[in-house]
Amino acid sequence: MICILALVVFGTLSIFSARHRPLAKEAFDCVFRKLTLRKCESGLDLRLKSQLTGKLLRRHPRFAKIIYKNFELLSLAFTLLFLISFVYMGIGGYNYYLYGDCNGPNESGFCIFDPLGSNEKTSSLETGEACPSNSPSPKYLTLANVNLDIFPTYDRGAENDVIFIGCYACPYTREAYPQIQKLLLRDDVNFVFAHFPIKGKNDHLSDILNAIYLIDKQKFITLNDALFELDPLLLKDEDVIMQLVEEIGMDSELVQASIITNNVSAITAAQAIELQKTGLYGTPTVFVNGNAVVGPKPYRVYTRLLK
Amino acid sequence: MNIETIRNDFPVLKKDVIYLDSSCVSLKPKQVVEAMNKYYYEFPACAGRSIHGFGSKVSGEITAARKNLANFFSTKPNEIIFTRNATEGINLVANSLGLKSGDKVLTSDKEHNSNLLPWQNLTKEGILHQVVLSNQDNTFNLAEFEKQIEGTRLVSIVHTSNLDGVSFPVEKIIKIAHRNGALVLLDCAQSAPHKELNMRKLDADFMVCSGHKMLGPSGIGALYGKAKLLDQLQPFLLGGSTVRDATYTSAEFEGAPAKFEAGLQNYAGIIGFSEAVTYLRNIGMKKIQHHEQELNKQLTDELLNLEAISLIGPAGPSQRAGIFSFNIKDKDPHEVALMLDQSAKIMVRSGAHCVHSWFNARNLKGSVRASLYLYNTEEECTTFIDAVKAIATL
Repeated sequence: MICILALVVFGTLSIFSARHRPLAKEAFDCVFRKLTLRKCESGLDLRLKSQLTGKLLRRHPRFAKIIYKNFELLSLAFTLLFLISFVYMGIGGYNYYLYGDCNGPNESGFCIFDPLGSNEKTSSLETGEACPSNSPSPKYLTLANVNLDIFPTYDRGAENDVIFIGCYACPYTREAYPQIQKLLLRDDVNFVFAHFPIKGKNDHLSDILNAIYLIDKQKFITLNDALFELDPLLLKDEDVIMQLVEEIGMDSELVQASIITNNVSAITAAQAIELQKTGLYGTPTVFVNGNAVVGPKPYRVYTRLLK
Repeated sequence: MNIETIRNDFPVLKKDVIYLDSSCVSLKPKQVVEAMNKYYYEFPACAGRSIHGFGSKVSGEITAARKNLANFFSTKPNEIIFTRNATEGINLVANSLGLKSGDKVLTSDKEHNSNLLPWQNLTKEGILHQVVLSNQDNTFNLAEFEKQIEGTRLVSIVHTSNLDGVSFPVEKIIKIAHRNGALVLLDCAQSAPHKELNMRKLDADFMVCSGHKMLGPSGIGALYGKAKLLDQLQPFLLGGSTVRDATYTSAEFEGAPAKFEAGLQNYAGIIGFSEAVTYLRNIGMKKIQHHEQELNKQLTDELLNLEAISLIGPAGPSQRAGIFSFNIKDKDPHEVALMLDQSAKIMVRSGAHCVHSWFNARNLKGSVRASLYLYNTEEECTTFIDAVKAIATL
């Protein structure tokens, strides 16, 4: 049994060190012989057992005795543990490919392929406002009963719907946005953007976004691109924002006037109420055809959910 | 015999290891290594050929070495042939003696493969190879030997077995063999390092030994042969230095020992071998033998009463020279050897010790063999005993 473990351990080590290659070869020979119902002749298991017991015998004779007596059993246990963890590793790899997280869609926990958890990070609410009572939990994320019609929408009449909930000042929304931009280059995606300003008190940006959308339905994406590129520290500076509005080809005075005349604040407030219904607990949260994806994920995770 | 002084001559012992595998290869004192280095540093030339300064120096050293070895074995220099090891010496006799179909060769049942396979191989040419079975306690069965000796051309027999350290009564064996017209070849690979050997007294016809087991370097050994017999032997390997003169169609061979030493020799090895023999002689073979037996007595007294230990060979330590060959119940010999190494840095040999035939006949996998030599101490034996006891209780 121990030969299977030895094969993996020495096999891995031998990639980097020639010293371990003969042992890896020996372990492979042993495993191959056992798989073909022949006796392992290398004595590798005996050597490992003796060396381990011998080392322990010097300092912990009782422990050495336990190891020696139960070596086969321990080997079996470790091999089973190894096989189980190998299966879990496979599942983890599969999950990572599909969801960008070893633990499954929007689950938390350590992931060997993403040790820093960068695919899972979200900006959470700084204040209690708009925090759903049943949050945080990905299982409550939903678009049911959420009126998406009041949000800036780029409707191509395509078969896929991508709803991107984020905030301009949030670092993980900014991290996710380039993937969303790539999605927007596709012809088969309708896009809804919901600004959820949980960081930095940037409610005014929601008003500007909504005002621009009322004036020109196509321009809000251009504004998004510009705002996500802007230094987050400048997002509060109204002069800078108005200059940016000018730069994207909009009349800043017209936008400011629209905010007042169209009572955009009411729209923004209504949007916040709708967003609470989603069970949102952090940004970015992306719904691709109704499936929630929380945190900045690799592009493949989004496209996999497209029809 | 001052063990501490002796141990200082073996730099490798400063590594804090307990070396109990001298029957395989002994350690080398610095005097031997220095003598060999001297050859390489100061006169690294060939002997018996070139007449320049270096050549003359090497020739002189080799002649002196041969004389030294001859003195060590109480024989004459022209009866000492340098070989690679004891194995080559046995093969030389086997292939040079002129054995004919129907000739009988007797060996014991405890022969090293080196003194078994050459005779097995000759059976293809019609040579008869017979084995004398030992007594129950692994000592030599003289009665059985006497029954089988008739019609024997050669008795090729181990002097001290590397399996269990038991020495055969070679004086009696030689007398019986000679009385029956048989020649005797002694495999002294395990006895030459540990006891005084007097070829004149023993009256053996041939004797082989290895340098690497008697403090000398590896790759050098010696074959002793009675001069009149060596003259009759045909050279086994032919080449440089074996002839006085040669034409395209014929050659005039040298006498012994030159006719058996074809090609350039291992001069550094020969010089080192000679130095090793000098070292042993200076200490005294009797003292060495006594020291080993005392240590073996210590091992035997402490370990033989353990239920889990089974000894190979007779119980009396004086009958087993410096070898303690044993098994621990339900434990593989290799397993025990590895645990000794890992737990207490004790180096022993495990397995069949190249005497597969003996183990196979008894359906045994092998044994653990601790072999003692002049540099081993009582303290080392105590550590070994404690380690074996600990393993036995696992």
